[in-house]
Amino acid sequence: MSREALRGLLGGALLVLLWEGVACGFALPSYTLPAVSEILASIWVQRANLITGGATTLLEALAGYAFGTAIGITLATVIIVLPWSRSAILPVVMAVNSVPVAAYSPLVLLWFGIGVSSKIALVTLAVGFTVFLSALAGFDRVDRRSVDLLRSFGAGQASVLWRLRLPAALPLIAAGMRVATVRSLIVAIVTEMLGAQSGLGWIIYQAVVGIDFVGVWSAIFVASALSLAFFGVIGWIERKVIFWR
Amino acid sequence: MSAALALTARRGAAGWRWAAPALLWLGRLILGLAIAAAVWEGAVLAFAIRPEYLPRLSAILATIAATPEAYVAGFLRTLLETLIGFAAGVVVGVLNGILFLRAPVLRDMLFPIFVVSQTIPVIAFGALVVLWFGNTLLAKAVIAFYLTFFPVTVNTLLGLQSVDPRQIALLRSFGASGRQLLLRLMLPAALPQIFVALRLGASLSLVGAIVGEWFGDTTGLGVILLQAMYTEQVTVMWAAILCAALLGTGFYAAVSLAERWLVFWGAEQ
Amino acid sequence: MQRRTLLAAAAAAPAILPFIAHAQGTQKATLRLKWLAQTQFAGFYLAKARGYYEAEGIDLTINPGGPNLLTENLVASGADTFGLSGGTDSVFAAREKNLPVVCVGVAHQQTPFVFVSRADGPIRTIQDFRGKTITTWFTGANYVLLGMLAKAGLKPGDFTMQPQQVSVTPFVDGQVDVVTATRYNEFYTLMTRMGREKLRTFVAEDQGITFPRDTLIVSETTARQKPEMVRGFLRASIRGWRDALKDQKAGVDAVMAAAPSLNRDHQEFMLVEAGKLMTAGAAAQQGLFWIDEAAVRSAHDFLREYEVIKAPIDLAKAYDGSFLATIPAADRMA
Repeated sequence: MSREALRGLLGGALLVLLWEGVACGFALPSYTLPAVSEILASIWVQRANLITGGATTLLEALAGYAFGTAIGITLATVIIVLPWSRSAILPVVMAVNSVPVAAYSPLVLLWFGIGVSSKIALVTLAVGFTVFLSALAGFDRVDRRSVDLLRSFGAGQASVLWRLRLPAALPLIAAGMRVATVRSLIVAIVTEMLGAQSGLGWIIYQAVVGIDFVGVWSAIFVASALSLAFFGVIGWIERKVIFWR
Repeated sequence: MSAALALTARRGAAGWRWAAPALLWLGRLILGLAIAAAVWEGAVLAFAIRPEYLPRLSAILATIAATPEAYVAGFLRTLLETLIGFAAGVVVGVLNGILFLRAPVLRDMLFPIFVVSQTIPVIAFGALVVLWFGNTLLAKAVIAFYLTFFPVTVNTLLGLQSVDPRQIALLRSFGASGRQLLLRLMLPAALPQIFVALRLGASLSLVGAIVGEWFGDTTGLGVILLQAMYTEQVTVMWAAILCAALLGTGFYAAVSLAERWLVFWGAEQ
Repeated sequence: MQRRTLLAAAAAAPAILPFIAHAQGTQKATLRLKWLAQTQFAGFYLAKARGYYEAEGIDLTINPGGPNLLTENLVASGADTFGLSGGTDSVFAAREKNLPVVCVGVAHQQTPFVFVSRADGPIRTIQDFRGKTITTWFTGANYVLLGMLAKAGLKPGDFTMQPQQVSVTPFVDGQVDVVTATRYNEFYTLMTRMGREKLRTFVAEDQGITFPRDTLIVSETTARQKPEMVRGFLRASIRGWRDALKDQKAGVDAVMAAAPSLNRDHQEFMLVEAGKLMTAGAAAQQGLFWIDEAAVRSAHDFLREYEVIKAPIDLAKAYDGSFLATIPAADRMA
């Protein structure tokens, strides 16, 4: 195991100890802060339910993530290739993104129904925006003079994009994609809380209504574990790809 | 010193030359908005879209005109929460980034916890937020902060790490202190990357403020939005969405403008 | 001479009372509502606007609720003094999870929601729900629906029950056969979109099920340590509600002042319907906020039957009518 991972585990362990100490030491009631041990026990009891819910949420998040990443990068590329479209696309994207995802939920639920597609749509929106901004900033980062230089050698738009802009933008796109992993799961969960048939958000919602605080935390723990894993996987892929380049 | 002088001089001379493009830009903006408004209104009329799906823009504007004070009060309140949360998120995020660069042990220990913290849907813990931060404006700002600080941390760290080591070595050889290195070289070099996060944070802090208002608040765009959602006042809901979009776009534009100034200046150095 | 001063003093007493309370020092307190400002809570807003809480020595702040904001939680933890919480169902759930809250009054005496189908559609009786798609809230209404259908001989597999989203549009568009609507909110939207005559309603009480909702709660600590404040709060709230139900314009105004973007017609309708729910059943004889033990017990037994509540709840501890009982019955009547 790498040193980084060990330190990460150490940090996590310290947090858990602190949490457990506070919850037990001050004898906090579960509606303020349940003990970690209590939550883990509840996860074990609820495991079947949480696995099904987690699978649904993960599916929504992954699908939305794939669509969102593709759309975000494509849109940024369009703006670079067709500079005049920037002033048209950018304000619209900004305006759409300034409104909390939850506010679109009544509309999206109307359009896409209460199943997984409405969640995928909203995850796509959130991820797409994050990746779009990063990609655009990355493409813009290239020095004008380098572009001019490459052009003077007869390179076309596509060539400039592929040879110059993409390599320069990769670290930023990668950072955006990493931030977006976490967003994808959270948006899926929040949308599920506002209307769904299954998923972690739906479990959380029912637990809140049933005043089952340990249940809420259990579902959140599972969601966090999934996000962390997703974040780790994307980070790992990035290191491989960027190293290779 | 001389760079600063040159900069002021250039700005003074450029004053007039900047006014014309600004006016042109304003004209284009107004034209763009007018076209968008016409398309919206026309599409709803032409396709006979029902208000539940999309109301006419004119109906939404009429709704705002009926009780403008409610929307102005909501706008200002949400703006304030957003700004406080954003400012706190940026300061803490940048400091985190510097701290993590200096102390990789801390980075390795805390970073995963930060990631985990971002995976918690705040909306599930409304009662805890009220419990810890009360019904104050602060509680909403805290949520805005919570959503902002993470991207700023990530991008600051990445920006600082991507500084050319040869440049650092060069400055070091001239006897630059750690602080000088940071302020003169590393932060300016990381600025473009940090600004990506700031632009992202501009939207996220607004979202945080609005969602924060859903934990039992009396004023704000989030309150109007939620109330309208559940009583199915479609035009009011869209009016709130429109106000939020205006706030978000305006804030984003302000951040972008700041970026253009600062990063341009950074590049000149 | 002396007699006259005494008489004058007696006559002035009601006017002086508030000042005495002031002298004793007003206590700060908060009321957490179950949702945002709307005329479902008009009486509280009017009582505050007219200074009734101040007159009882309470400096009251009204805190709105929100989605996923649990009133029981906030009152149990002491973040809020009083709460107008979900209903008998949420009080049971809270007591079951050992949250130290006590219900001191019930606002809506009957099930505030109904199930709605199209009047010109194939669903005429509750038996017709067989094979149909029904949307409902999974916050208690789902059990009422299951109970109603069970009494009509339908089992859970005989129909499709889906979680209901925020908007009633899928029902209006005909994608859903039966929709759940509170009498004061969603039903108004359905009426304005489709017309009252197009709607057929199914009422829980017709099937012998009743589900009182909108419960006033305090923490056990407050009930024990500040009984006088609880009584004062109830007195002032009832005064506010009596005013709001008599002078509905004033009630709507008080709410609209807090939330100007609301639709006035809708809010007027809501107050009328809230008034009906608050004066229904036992409240007709016993007055506002009456805790109808029989109704509470029936709701409890019903939820026990469906194992929503895992173990029986000590109702005497969860529902305390003693505070209300100190207010003369005549003063409680709407």
